[in-house]
Amino acid sequence: MAQAVATEARLGWRERISATPYFLLAPAIVALAAVSVYPLFYGIRASLEQYRYGREVGFAGLDNYRAVYHDETFWEALRVTLKFVVLAVTIETVLGLLLALLVARELRFAGSIRVGLILPMTIAPVVVGVIWRLLYASDIGVVNPLFSALGLEEPDVLAHTTSAFVGLVVVDVWEWTPLLFLILLAGVQGLPQEPLEAARVDGAGTMRVFFDHMLPLLRPVLLVAIVLRTIDAIGTFDQVFVLTRGGPGTATQLISIYGYNTAFRFSQYGQAAAMLLSLLAFMSILMVVAIRLMRRAAFGVESEA
Amino acid sequence: MRSAAPRIGLYSLLVGILLLTLFPFWWMIVTSLKRPVDIFAGVALWPQETTLDNYRVLFEQHHFRAFLVNSITIVAVSVGISLVLGTLAAYALTRFRLRLGLNDSALVGSLLVRMLPAILLVIPLYIVLSKYQLLDTRLGLILVYAGLNTSFVVWLMQSFLDEIPREIEEAALVDGDSRLSALRRVVLPLAAPGIAATAIFSVITTYNDFLLALTLTSTPDAQTVPVGVSTLIGKIQIEWGPMAAAGVVGALPIVIFALIVQRHFVRGLTLGAVK
Repeated sequence: MAQAVATEARLGWRERISATPYFLLAPAIVALAAVSVYPLFYGIRASLEQYRYGREVGFAGLDNYRAVYHDETFWEALRVTLKFVVLAVTIETVLGLLLALLVARELRFAGSIRVGLILPMTIAPVVVGVIWRLLYASDIGVVNPLFSALGLEEPDVLAHTTSAFVGLVVVDVWEWTPLLFLILLAGVQGLPQEPLEAARVDGAGTMRVFFDHMLPLLRPVLLVAIVLRTIDAIGTFDQVFVLTRGGPGTATQLISIYGYNTAFRFSQYGQAAAMLLSLLAFMSILMVVAIRLMRRAAFGVESEA
Repeated sequence: MRSAAPRIGLYSLLVGILLLTLFPFWWMIVTSLKRPVDIFAGVALWPQETTLDNYRVLFEQHHFRAFLVNSITIVAVSVGISLVLGTLAAYALTRFRLRLGLNDSALVGSLLVRMLPAILLVIPLYIVLSKYQLLDTRLGLILVYAGLNTSFVVWLMQSFLDEIPREIEEAALVDGDSRLSALRRVVLPLAAPGIAATAIFSVITTYNDFLLALTLTSTPDAQTVPVGVSTLIGKIQIEWGPMAAAGVVGALPIVIFALIVQRHFVRGLTLGAVK
């Protein structure tokens, strides 16, 4: 920033009042607004409209919102989403951190497994769904034979409520632990060594060094990773659509799946819009937190460099 | 200094993790190369008899040619548009101090758009596109993706452009270049690696998108590969072989791209927060 200002001062008045930067910026802003602000305006309007068989039939006021808040399935979907997000993100963070601490000093090795580890999160989530559908399938899959080879009962993962839910968490952990691992690996490798050494010399045990010295230093990067992953996990849709479509029953019906069904299967656009706008209100809090954290973390990285 | 035993333990743990990560891919590939009888013949980690029939079925009976053509067209055009819009905006944001706190609000705005989960946008976008008769058209998807990608390009490019020293373009300006020609002759060549990484990320996210393409299209005239993959999952019966083959077709181009940018991968996925 300071640099930009200095540049500006040297460039003289003609450059300073020039309209060039505004012309450069305007198309991007129009494009962004066209896919966010503008449609959201229509979303708000839709949430206030009454729909029958997918057609607008009049103004509904807050009826859609009332219907949503009195809808037991909506709350059930929120509970399932919350359970899914908390479980998945927690497991991914703990596993990712453990792995990062283990390989932090094995630089060459960490580099060579990165290629393999990024694959699950690069491919389309729909393909992730297909892959696990093939593994979980009761007739042609791998999971059932594996369990019976170990002398356990075949789980038929996607056929039962609890196992289907657990199965989805496993898929998410498979897909996203590598991201947490790579972020935290960068964090661990960027830690200053002196304070940690000093603590060790003072006789602090491994656990002590970790909780009292490493964790506080890792906090900024850890928080960014967790918040970003949480935002993403709340929007999980594709994998579930391919694997269970929310079933059996409502066992894996995340809020995204329920919103989609309400709009595009039952043509209740008004209620779906009301539902998703309520979710947006909640998520904007998370997003603001994320932006604050990211600016601080990015600043930290730059000031070290 | 450190003894060998824990190292061997660590290495075998890592190899185990790598296997857990990669085996599911292998299973999909193997299944896609098996004959239907062999698919049902228990767990075989290698195709009993290799066949490309499943792939032939995809292209002959399931419109995969159309899906691929749609995907490639939509991805290429929309990423092209967003690269131009986003890079120009990022240049303005990193090199000028704008009025009304625009530097800040434009960046925050683009981050917010980037973070919005697709599910929150599908209903409004569906309504808007139907208003302009753009449902089930490639143009409709191109416009939506171009807009959404611009957010990502602005954010990532401003972090790349920020790293290019201003002194170099100032020299060009002193030599009489206009802002735009300095951008073209001096800054863009230096930013080329960043632009390439940003482009590839945009290609990956656009090609992979499912929910928007699913709701905004309805026929092979505009449907993309991920939507095509999902059409193979019927309610009652699943043709496992073609489904596995579809997964491979859906993943392959992206895996290649991802390997090219793997160094930048974490930076892209964390929106530049971690470099």
